[in-house]
Amino acid sequence: MKRRAFLEKAGLGAVAATALAGCTGSQQAGDGSASTDSDTSADGDTPTDGATTGTTASGTPSGTLRVATYSSFTGEGTAGNWLKSAFEAEYPATTVEFTTPENGVNKYILQQQKGAPIDADLYVGLNTGELVRTDRELDSSLFASIESDVANVSEVKDSLRIDPDGRAVPYDTGYISLVYNANEVEAPGTFDALTTDEYEGDLIVQNAQQSDPGRAFLLWTIDAKGEDGYLDYWEKLLANGTTVLSDWEPAYQAYMNDEAPIVVSYSTDQVYYHGEGVDIQKHQVGFLNDQAYANPEAVAVFADTDTPDLARRFVNFALSPEAQAEIAVRNVQFPAVAGVDPGEEFSKYAYEPEQPVTFTYEELSGNVDRWIEDWARTVADA
Amino acid sequence: MSTRRRLSDRLVFPAALLATLSVLVVVFYYPVWSVFDAALGDTGAFLARGEATGLFAPIHDVLADPFYTGVAHHLFTEPAGVPAGVLAWLADGVQLVGFGLFGFTAYQAALSALASVALGLPGAYVLARYEFRGRQTLTSLTIVPFVLPSILVAVGFQATFGQTGLVNDLLGAVGLGPVDVLFQLPIIVVAHAFYNAPLVTRLVTAAWDGVDPQQVESARAMGASPLRAFRDVVLPQLLPPLLTAALLAFVFSFMSFPIVLALGGLRLPTVEVWLYAKVQSLELDTAAALATLETALSLVLTYLYLRYEAFQVTASADGGRRSRRPLVDGLRKLADPRRLLVFGYAVVAAVVFLLPVVSLLVESVTGPNGGFTTSYYEFLLARQSSAAVGTVKPLPAIRNSLLFALGTLAVAVPMGVVVSLVATRGGRWSRLAEAALSAPIAVSGVVVGLGLLQTLVFGVELFGQRVTATGPIAIVAAHAVAAYPFVTRNLTPALGGIDDRVVDAARSLGASRLRALVTVTLPLVAAPLLAGTAFAFAISVGEFDSTILLAEGSSSYTMPVALERYVGNRSLGPSLGPATAMGSVLLVVTAASFVVIDRLGGRYGG
Repeated sequence: MKRRAFLEKAGLGAVAATALAGCTGSQQAGDGSASTDSDTSADGDTPTDGATTGTTASGTPSGTLRVATYSSFTGEGTAGNWLKSAFEAEYPATTVEFTTPENGVNKYILQQQKGAPIDADLYVGLNTGELVRTDRELDSSLFASIESDVANVSEVKDSLRIDPDGRAVPYDTGYISLVYNANEVEAPGTFDALTTDEYEGDLIVQNAQQSDPGRAFLLWTIDAKGEDGYLDYWEKLLANGTTVLSDWEPAYQAYMNDEAPIVVSYSTDQVYYHGEGVDIQKHQVGFLNDQAYANPEAVAVFADTDTPDLARRFVNFALSPEAQAEIAVRNVQFPAVAGVDPGEEFSKYAYEPEQPVTFTYEELSGNVDRWIEDWARTVADA
Repeated sequence: MSTRRRLSDRLVFPAALLATLSVLVVVFYYPVWSVFDAALGDTGAFLARGEATGLFAPIHDVLADPFYTGVAHHLFTEPAGVPAGVLAWLADGVQLVGFGLFGFTAYQAALSALASVALGLPGAYVLARYEFRGRQTLTSLTIVPFVLPSILVAVGFQATFGQTGLVNDLLGAVGLGPVDVLFQLPIIVVAHAFYNAPLVTRLVTAAWDGVDPQQVESARAMGASPLRAFRDVVLPQLLPPLLTAALLAFVFSFMSFPIVLALGGLRLPTVEVWLYAKVQSLELDTAAALATLETALSLVLTYLYLRYEAFQVTASADGGRRSRRPLVDGLRKLADPRRLLVFGYAVVAAVVFLLPVVSLLVESVTGPNGGFTTSYYEFLLARQSSAAVGTVKPLPAIRNSLLFALGTLAVAVPMGVVVSLVATRGGRWSRLAEAALSAPIAVSGVVVGLGLLQTLVFGVELFGQRVTATGPIAIVAAHAVAAYPFVTRNLTPALGGIDDRVVDAARSLGASRLRALVTVTLPLVAAPLLAGTAFAFAISVGEFDSTILLAEGSSSYTMPVALERYVGNRSLGPSLGPATAMGSVLLVVTAASFVVIDRLGGRYGG
C-alpha cells in the first residue's frame, strides 16, 4: 500500500494577516458575506420550475432548504446554526431547516433503494468511506455533481478532494492523532513503539466498526503497515494490552479517569483544554511517524432535490472564507479552503501534522468493509 | 339486558385481541419482517423456478462460519464428518472447544443471568420477608437501573470500579488493592446484573407477597419443619417468576450491545455488536441472518420455559398476606445470623447498585479538574431558555417522556392482560401463542429500529398515496409493543394460579366477563400486575432506538433522546457532564414516578 501524503505542510499561520484575521468571534451573522454571492453557473445549468425550485423568475432565491446532518452540527452556538442564520441573512427569502437522521446517510441510501422520496436537499458531514458505501449500494448516484456549478469549490485544497466525480465537497477536516498524558509517558513517536513493553497496557482506541476516530486510526495503521501487514501489527498491539472501546466518548472518559495514558483522539484536543487550571501535560498531542490521519467532512447535494440552485448556493456559501473560518472554530476542525485563518486561539492550540495521510475514494472502494471486518475479527479472537 | 351483556361479553375479548394483534402487526411484525426477509436468501429463484439452493443462504453462511459458531460450523459445512470428529475429540481427551461469537455471547449471558439471580433473589427475600422503614419505597426504586442509558451506566461504572474509582479509593484507604476490573468479563457480567437483577427482585417479591400464609401454617401444623414448609409450599410459587426473570436476564444479556463495548471493549464481543456493524455497513443479508438466529434462540428458550411453567401447579393467591419480620428488632437480635447475612447482602447491593448511581450524580457536579461545578445544570437551564433553532430543551423532554409513558401504560397494560388471558386458556397452542407474542423482547432493538425506519418512517404506498406513521401516537404504539410482554410475564403465572371457582361465583351472581375480570380477577393479581405496570413504564421511559426514529423533528423527543444529543454537544468541551446532568434528571424523574405508580397501584390491590 502506498503511503498517501495529503495536505501540504500547513500554511495556516502564514496567511493570518489577511482581512479575515479577526472575524472569528462575535461577528454578526451574514455580516460581510455579500462577496460570497459569486455567480455560480447553477442558474443557467439547472432547469428550475418556479415556486418549488427556490429561484423566482427575477432570480432571487427563495424557499426552504432541508439540510441533513449529524446532531452535534446543529444547536446553540454550533457551526450549523451560524451557517443557517448567516445564509438566511444573505438570502432573506430562504429558510434553512436541519434534520439529523439517526442512521446518517444510510437513511437516504435506504430511501432510494426502497423507492421512497428523499426528504432532504443537502447532506452535511459525509466522509470518504460513506461516499464509497453510497455508490456501492446504489445504481444511480444519490448525489449530484456540483464541482462545475459552484464557484468556491475551486478554492478547496486539492489534497482534500475526496470525490473523483465532484459530488462530495469537503468543508473541513480533522486529524486523528494520539492524545497522551506527559506526566505518565513520553510521546511514542512511532507505530512500532506502541507495541513495546514500555507502552504495555497504555493505549485506548475506538471500535472501527462504529466510531469515526476508531475507523480513521485503523485506516492510518493500514496506511503505515500495508494491507498485508496491518493485522500482524494489530495482533502485537492487542498482545500489548490495547483496549478497544465502543466510541470516542467512553474512550476519552476512560482516558480522563486515568485508565490508560494514551487515547486515540483529535489533534485539536488543546483547543478545549488550555488555560488556567488545566493540566496541559495531560493533553499532549502525539503524531506517529510525523503523520496524522486526515478525516475530511464533506457536503453533497442530493440528485433528487427540488431546489438544486438553492442547495448549490448553500455549498458555495459554506466554502466562502468567512464561513470557513466560522466553521473551523465552531466545529473545532481545520478549514478545507486554503488561506483561511480561523484565528489566533485556534491556530495556537490546534496542531497539524507534518505529513497528513488519508485514503482516497479509489483506495477505499471495494476494500474498506473487508479491512474493517478482518480487523474486527482479529480483535474479537485476540 | 342479559342478551346485551352476553353480546358484549362475546365481543369484548375478541375485539381486544384483534386490537392487540393489529397494533403488533403495524408497529412490530410488519416492520421487523421487512428486515428479516433478507435472511431468507434468494426467494425469487425459488418461487420462479423452484431453485432452492439460494434459500436461507445468509443464515447458512453465518452458521457455516467458524467465527460465528466455532466448532459447530462443521454441522453445516460437513455434517457427515461430525460423528467421526466427535469421536476423535473424545479420543483426544475432550479438549476445550469454542463455539465462536454465538458461544461466547451465550456464555456471558448465562453468567449474567446467574449473577442477576444471585444479586436479585436475596433482595426479593429481604423485601418480602422483612419490615423496615422505607421498604415500600425501596421496592419501588428497585427498577430504577432498568431505565438508565448505557452511556451513563458506563460513566457510573468507570467512576465506581476504575483505577481511580470509588471502590479502589476505599480499598486503598484500608491498605488493599488496587483492583483492575474494567474492560474484562466480570465487569460486563456485573453491569448486566445491574440492569437485570431488578427483574428478579421485582418479579419474585410480587410472587412472594402472594404466598398464602395459611398454606404455610397448615404445613407447619402438620409437622413440617420451616425449611420443609418453604420447600413444599413457598418455593413452588417462587420458581416460575424466578425462572421467568432469569430467562429475561439471559435474553437481554444475550442481545446486549452498547454496555458490552463501553465497559468490556471489542475483545469481549457479542452477536449484537456484529449485527450493529452489519447494519451500519448495510450488509443487510448478514444482519438479518444474525438477527433471525438471535430471535429464534430467544423464542425457543421462551417456548421451552412456557411449557415448563404450564406444568407448575401454582397455588391460590387469595389468602391475605404473611406478616413480615421487623428487620431491626432490638440490638440483641442484630447478631442473629440471618440478619447479619441480610446486612452483608445490603453492602454488596450498595456497591453494585448504589455506588454507580451515586457516582453518576457526583459526576454531574464535578468539573474536568475534579472540582465542584454547577455548569452542567446551568447548561440544562441555558438549553431551556434558548431560542435557537434545533435546541433540545430538557423540560419538553421530561414532559414528553412522562406523557408517552402514561400513554404506554394505557395501551400496554390492556394488551398484556389480553395476551395473559390467551396464555392461561390452556393447551399447547396457547403457550405457542404466548411465545410468538413475546417476540418483541426477542428481537434486537437495532433491527426493530431499521424496520420502523424503512416502513413507518419512509411510508408505504396505499391507494396511490404515500402513508407515513410517525409522531407521538406511533411512539406510544412502539413503546407499548416493547412493554406489554413485561405485563404478560408478570401476570401469566399469577393468573394461572387463580381459583376458577371465585370467578365463576362472580359470573353466576350476574357479573359480566369484563366486570368479573376488573373487579375479581385483577385485584387478586394486583401485586404482579403492578410490577408489570412499573416495568412497562420503565421500558417506555428508557426506550431509545424506536423513539429517535419516530420523533418527528424536535417536537417529540424524550429524556434519553435529549441525553444522547447532549452527549454529542461540545459547547462545554468534550465532556459528558451535560449528559450526566440530564441523566440525573432522568433518574430523579423516573424514581419519583415509580414511587407514585406503586402508591397509586397499591390502592387498587387493597
